[in-house]
Amino acid sequence: MSDSVFAVISRFLEEYRNRTSSRLKVIDAYLLYILLTGAFQFLYCLLVGTFPFNSFLSGFISSVGSFILAVCLRIQINPQNKGDFLSVSPERAFADFLFAHTVLHLVVVNFIG
Amino acid sequence: MALLRLVSLLVFVLALGAQALTPSHHLSASDVDRLQAILSQPFTDLKSAYFSIVGLSKLGVSVADANDACSFIKANVDSSSVESLFYAAEASQALSSCEIHVSNETRDLLHAAVSEDSTVSQIHQAVSALSSFGLPLASQEVVSALKARISKEDNVLAITLALQTASRLSQQAELGEILEEIEDLAARLDDLGGVYLQFEEGLEATALFVSAAYALSDHVDVEPPLKEDQVIQLVNSIFSKKSWDSLSEVFSVASAASALSNNRFHKPVIVSALGPATVSHSQPLLQLQVTDVLCQPLSSADVLVESASSVASKAVILSQTPFTLRDGIFELNFMASKPASGYYQFSVAVTGDSRLVSNHVELKVKVSTKVAINNMDLSVVDKDQSIGTKTTRVEYPNKAKTSFVADSHQNFAMTFQLVDETTGVELTPHQTFVRLHNQKTGQEVVFVAEPDSKNLYKFELDTAERKAEFDSISGTYALYLMVGDATLENPVLWNVADLVLKFLDEEAPSTIQSKNLYVPKPEIQHLFREPEKRPPTVLSNTFTALVLSPFLLLLILWFKLGANISNFSLSPSSLLFHIGHAAMLGLMYVYWTHLNMFQTLKYLAIIGSLTFLAGNRMLAQKAVKRIAAEQSSRLAKYRSLR
Repeated sequence: MSDSVFAVISRFLEEYRNRTSSRLKVIDAYLLYILLTGAFQFLYCLLVGTFPFNSFLSGFISSVGSFILAVCLRIQINPQNKGDFLSVSPERAFADFLFAHTVLHLVVVNFIG
Repeated sequence: MALLRLVSLLVFVLALGAQALTPSHHLSASDVDRLQAILSQPFTDLKSAYFSIVGLSKLGVSVADANDACSFIKANVDSSSVESLFYAAEASQALSSCEIHVSNETRDLLHAAVSEDSTVSQIHQAVSALSSFGLPLASQEVVSALKARISKEDNVLAITLALQTASRLSQQAELGEILEEIEDLAARLDDLGGVYLQFEEGLEATALFVSAAYALSDHVDVEPPLKEDQVIQLVNSIFSKKSWDSLSEVFSVASAASALSNNRFHKPVIVSALGPATVSHSQPLLQLQVTDVLCQPLSSADVLVESASSVASKAVILSQTPFTLRDGIFELNFMASKPASGYYQFSVAVTGDSRLVSNHVELKVKVSTKVAINNMDLSVVDKDQSIGTKTTRVEYPNKAKTSFVADSHQNFAMTFQLVDETTGVELTPHQTFVRLHNQKTGQEVVFVAEPDSKNLYKFELDTAERKAEFDSISGTYALYLMVGDATLENPVLWNVADLVLKFLDEEAPSTIQSKNLYVPKPEIQHLFREPEKRPPTVLSNTFTALVLSPFLLLLILWFKLGANISNFSLSPSSLLFHIGHAAMLGLMYVYWTHLNMFQTLKYLAIIGSLTFLAGNRMLAQKAVKRIAAEQSSRLAKYRSLR
């Protein structure tokens, strides 16, 4: 059982390394970074406590929001998905990404206290 | 059946309510004297002379100096004024021997005033003057003039004057219609709370109405259409005011009082007790003042106690017993019936005259007595009852020779009887207290002694149980018995004995702090909100580093992936875009530290629009480049395939 899981994982990693364009890999690295940041914030909250709760919330929501926006950007940029996003050029996707981030940061900084 | 009972109960209650009205306000002797004094003041003008002279005559008092008054009238009369003639005529009529000469012109003037064109007031004055001067007048003409004027002047005062005028006319004239005005006018009276009946025009109008109504009713010998309750309510209204504003008001009150005392139909009776309505052995007579409205005693009346019953036991003590008249006061020796002490409800009836109104009165009479304390026995009893009790008897007002000692194993007991001194009947006064007073510390504790079923008073002090009230302070306490009641003439404060109390475990402080409520209380310190506990700085610093560490990871990964900025075109729009973007991020930081939302939005709008324009330009250029690259690669692929 574990054998087949390991085989699937190694195959998946190989495919990923070969097939994915470096542009997408850059975004994936960014996604990993955001994930880790959010995870460490959550860990702190679990271990030490929720004071100050508003700061925790804003930080965590910032991580989650950024992650979601980056995922959206990745989907829209991927040339394999071009059929789904005929009206959205990569540049447009990037501009949307930046605008959404501005709004997100406004909210996060307001709430961070 | 139940409905019938309910209806009869309702009728009974209504009947009871209806007959219960007695005057709550009346003139006392001093009030009548005051009326007289005001009316006896020296005259300022003819009008005041009229009020004074005629007012005093209504009170049954003659003017101090009749001759002086007469000359004053003669000197001040103005023969050309109907009003002046009216005052002069009425005043001179009231004086015993005062004749005013009336000339023909005067007579004609007065006759001319009686017409439909004069006001009711003028007609009244003319008719009264003619009547007082003894001159003939045509009654029927007056009646028709009055009737015409009444329909034009419909106010209370005018109709009252019309009534007064009609009472001076001949009895053969048709006064029926004017007589009906009494009833119409009575309907206009305002009933205030069932106690007062008066015109909204005030006291004077009400009083003048009363005197006019009775004057006319007496004149035609027809009973005025006023019910007994209404008469009493009028009495309440007119005689409730004891200080008067003007001479005319005093005159009106005097006229009303005279009318109510001397008319042929209704005579209100005022029954009041002389002093407090209390009888006792030293004062066995119940004295009542039975007077008319002018405070004159009704000597010809018979005053009877219909029933006298005890309030507590409802037993009837007296029935149909007459009062005896002595010096204008009606007396009854109530103590002769040997009533027990307490309150009694007397129902008194005044008879002898068919005109009497409100001649059934309810009075509450108090019978007081002196109390005697018998069989005062004091003893100290052991709680386990092993040692026999030793009872000491103390006689009032002596004090027990030895003091009693009681400690926590013993009870102190006291029994006594309270009896009426003269009759020996047992009494249960309202206040029977036992007071223990510590002479050294000034402390005092009061207990209540309760009677048992045989009216024997008992007081027991359980030393151990009651130690809290004494604050566990041992010592000598003086024992007092306090007896008091509204019906007792001799309240008792008797130092019966001294009691030495011994308490175990003297927990109390050695000095008594008087329970002073008014000392400054301890100051309240305000506790500010404690800041929440924070984790140690080391921990939070560690986690800050931990949270920031993925950024390093990101940079490493990007480096490994070969992300670079080699494609960076140094066009002005891209530069501006990057600067603008950096400025927005900087603004976020500044927002966190210094600004509020509104300021931030303002700056953001400015920077954001710049960045947007630059970015739009830059991305468009990039898009153009990308499309060109895509097209060229497609072209190359197409070419290679061919």
